[in-house]
Amino acid sequence: MKLLIKSVRIVDKKSPANGQVRDILIEDGKIKEIGENLSSNDIEVKDLSGLCVSAGWVDMRVGSRDPGFEHKEDLYSVSAAAAHGGFTEIVLLPNTNPVVHSKDTLNYIRQSAAGGVVTLHPAAAVTKKAEGVDFTEMIDLHHAGAIAFTDGEHAVQSADLLLKTILYLRPLNALLMNRPEEAQLSLYGQMHEGITSTLTGMKGIPSLAEEMMLTRDLKLLEYALEKSMYDTSDPVLHISLLSTAIGVEIVREAKQKGLPISCDVAVHQLVFEDSDLINFDTNLKVNPPFRSQADQEALRQGLADGTIDAIVSDHNPQDEESKNLEFDHADFGITGLETVFSLAVMHSGLSLETIVEKITTAPRAILRLPEISIEQGAIANLTFFDPEADWTFGKSYSKSKNTPFLGQQLKGKVRGVINNGKQEWYA
Amino acid sequence: MTKLSVRHLLGIKNLNENDIQTILDTATEFKDVINRPIKKVPSLRDITIANVFFENSTRTRLSFELAEKRLSADVVNFSASGSSVKKGETLLDTVNNILAMKVDMIVMRHSSPGAPHYLSTRIPANVVNAGDGTHEHPTQALLDAFSMREKLGDLQGKKIAIIGDITHSRVALSNIFCLQKLGAEVMVCGPSTLIPKHLGELGVKIGHNVKEALEWCDVANVLRIQLERQQIKYFPSLREYSLYFGINKQMLDDLNKEIVLMHPGPINRGVELSSDAADSHHSIILNQVENGVAVRMAVLYLLAQQ
Repeated sequence: MKLLIKSVRIVDKKSPANGQVRDILIEDGKIKEIGENLSSNDIEVKDLSGLCVSAGWVDMRVGSRDPGFEHKEDLYSVSAAAAHGGFTEIVLLPNTNPVVHSKDTLNYIRQSAAGGVVTLHPAAAVTKKAEGVDFTEMIDLHHAGAIAFTDGEHAVQSADLLLKTILYLRPLNALLMNRPEEAQLSLYGQMHEGITSTLTGMKGIPSLAEEMMLTRDLKLLEYALEKSMYDTSDPVLHISLLSTAIGVEIVREAKQKGLPISCDVAVHQLVFEDSDLINFDTNLKVNPPFRSQADQEALRQGLADGTIDAIVSDHNPQDEESKNLEFDHADFGITGLETVFSLAVMHSGLSLETIVEKITTAPRAILRLPEISIEQGAIANLTFFDPEADWTFGKSYSKSKNTPFLGQQLKGKVRGVINNGKQEWYA
Repeated sequence: MTKLSVRHLLGIKNLNENDIQTILDTATEFKDVINRPIKKVPSLRDITIANVFFENSTRTRLSFELAEKRLSADVVNFSASGSSVKKGETLLDTVNNILAMKVDMIVMRHSSPGAPHYLSTRIPANVVNAGDGTHEHPTQALLDAFSMREKLGDLQGKKIAIIGDITHSRVALSNIFCLQKLGAEVMVCGPSTLIPKHLGELGVKIGHNVKEALEWCDVANVLRIQLERQQIKYFPSLREYSLYFGINKQMLDDLNKEIVLMHPGPINRGVELSSDAADSHHSIILNQVENGVAVRMAVLYLLAQQ
C-alpha cells in the first residue's frame, strides 16, 4: 500500500504536530513521512481536508459470538462493525461456545483471517467454561497469545480463586480483567434497583452488588501484592464496566493509594438512566444496568479526572429471538461498536483529545500493547474521523441489531481506518 | 358515557383519576344489571374476547369470563398448561395466532412484568392486563376501590393499610396507584424483607407492626403469603409469619372501631388471616369477588368503545 493523505488534522497528544493539519505519506504499512505540501508522483492521493486522524482505536471489551453463536455475530461481522466504528484493535471476551479456555479456541480466533483491517485480540477465561470453578491453563494460554484473562460476562465469585489468579498471573505480568458483581445480590435482577424497578415490579440489581465486590476485589489485590517481588508498573487488575458513583469513588481512592489498577466504562452508561426503562424496552436491558442520574454524573466526573481510564463499547450482540421478548426473558446487551465515538462526543463531556486518549493510549497501556504514535517510521495503524459530522445511524454491520441507536441522528463520524497494511474508507 | 383516555388497560399507573371514576361509576350500573333476574346485556354482542392465561388463576379468569358473558361477548379461553407455549412458541406468536381467528380483545395474565405493555405495542387488539408478574393487577385494584367506596363512600382522606408480601405483590402496586389517585392515604406493612427498599418514594407510609397498622387504618387489605413459590428466602417460616404478621378476629374486635377487612384471595387460612377474622362481620372479601364481575364488565365495556 502506497498512499498520500493530504490535509488531515493530527490528534495525538505526544506528537509535535498535535492539532496541526499535515500530509502523511504511508508506504509498506508504515508512516514514511509527515509534513506540509508533500507530493509524490504516481501514487494514490486522498484529500481529507476537515478530517482528523489519530492512532487506531482500541475497544477493550467486545463480545463476539464466534465460535458457537455465529447467528448472533461471527468474526467477520464483528470486524466489520469494529472497523466502521473506527476500531483497528478489539479485545474479544471468552464467552463463546466453547469458551476460550484452551489453545485451540484461542488459536481459532488468533489465526482467523476475518479481522482484515481489524486486529483481533482474544482474552482467555480464568476458569473452565467461565464457570468460576476450575482454573484454565493460564501460563499456556498466555504464551499462546491471550491478551488478558477474564471470565468476561461473569464476575469471579470465589474470593480464593480470584486471589490465586492474581498470584498466578503475577510472574507473567498478565492482565486480569474482572467485572465486579456480587451474584447473590443481583440474582434474578433485571434492572437497577431504584424507584423505576419498584414501579415496574422488577427485581432490582442494587448498586451494592458492584460496590461490595469491588471493595473485595481490591482487598484481595492488596493482599496478593504484599511482599510481591514482581513489578507493578502495569495495571494488575482491570475493573470492567464501572456503573456506580460509589464504585467510582472506591477506584479513585484505590488509585490514590497506589494500587496497580485500571478501569473502564461502557459508553452507553453515559446516555441512559434507569428511568428510561419505564416502558420495558429490552434494547435498554444491559448488565451492569443503567443507574441513576447521580451515578451517570459520577462516571462522567471519573472519566474527566482520570479515575476511569478507558471507554469501551461492551458490544454484546443478541439476535431478535433473544430480545423481542418479555423483559425478564430477554437477554442483556447492546451492540455498541459502531456508536462509541458518536456517543462519547455527544454524552461524555470530554474534549476530543481526551476521548481519543480513552480509546487509544489508555487501553494500549493497560493491555501492554505497543504505543502507537503519529510520527515518521511508526506503524500505520490509524483512524480517520470527523468529530463535527451529523449523520444517521442507518445501517449496522453487526449481525445483531440490538441497539437503541439504529435510525438515530448522531454526531461524530468515522471516515476510515488503516491497519495491517489494509485501508477502508466510509462515506 | 365518558370515554377512557387509554386503549388498553395495562396498569393503574396509565390511568388518570377521571378514568378510574368513570370505570367505578360504570361498574355501579353493571352491578345493578347482574343483580337483576336477567343478568345479561347485549353490549358486546359483536365482540370476541380471548382470555389468555399464562399463569394459574381460578377467580380472576372466572370473573373475567362471567363479565364477558354477561356483556354477551363471545369468549375463548387459553391457558398455558398443555399449550404451544411448552413447545417454545413466543408470546407474540401465540397471541397473533389467536388474533388471526378474529379476536378483538385480549385479557392476559402473564408471569413477566410488562408483558401486556410489550404486547400492546405489537398487536391491533385491545389488551387488558389480568396480572403481570410482580407488577400490576389493575382490575383487582379497581374492584378493591369499588368495594371500599361502596362501604365507606368517597375515599378522599381514607386510610388504607396493605398488609403482607408487598415485594411480590402486583395487587399492592396497583392498589397504591389507584388509592393515591382517589385521594386516600396508603400504608404498607409487613416484614421488612418483603417491602421494596424504594417504595417510600411513592409517598406511602411504611410499617412493620400489624397492630399499629390496624389501629391506623380504616381498611386493611391483607395479601396472600406464599413461602413455597419464592426462589429466594425472605422470611423463616409460615409459623413465625402467622404469629407476628397474621390477623385474627380478636385483634379486630379489640380495636373498638369500625374496620373493613379485605383480601384479594385465595386466602391462606391460618397464615395471614385466621378463619374467624376472614368470616367475621369486618370482612367484605366475598363482596370483593361479586364486585369483581361488575368492575370487569365496566372495563371491557369502556375499552370496547375506544
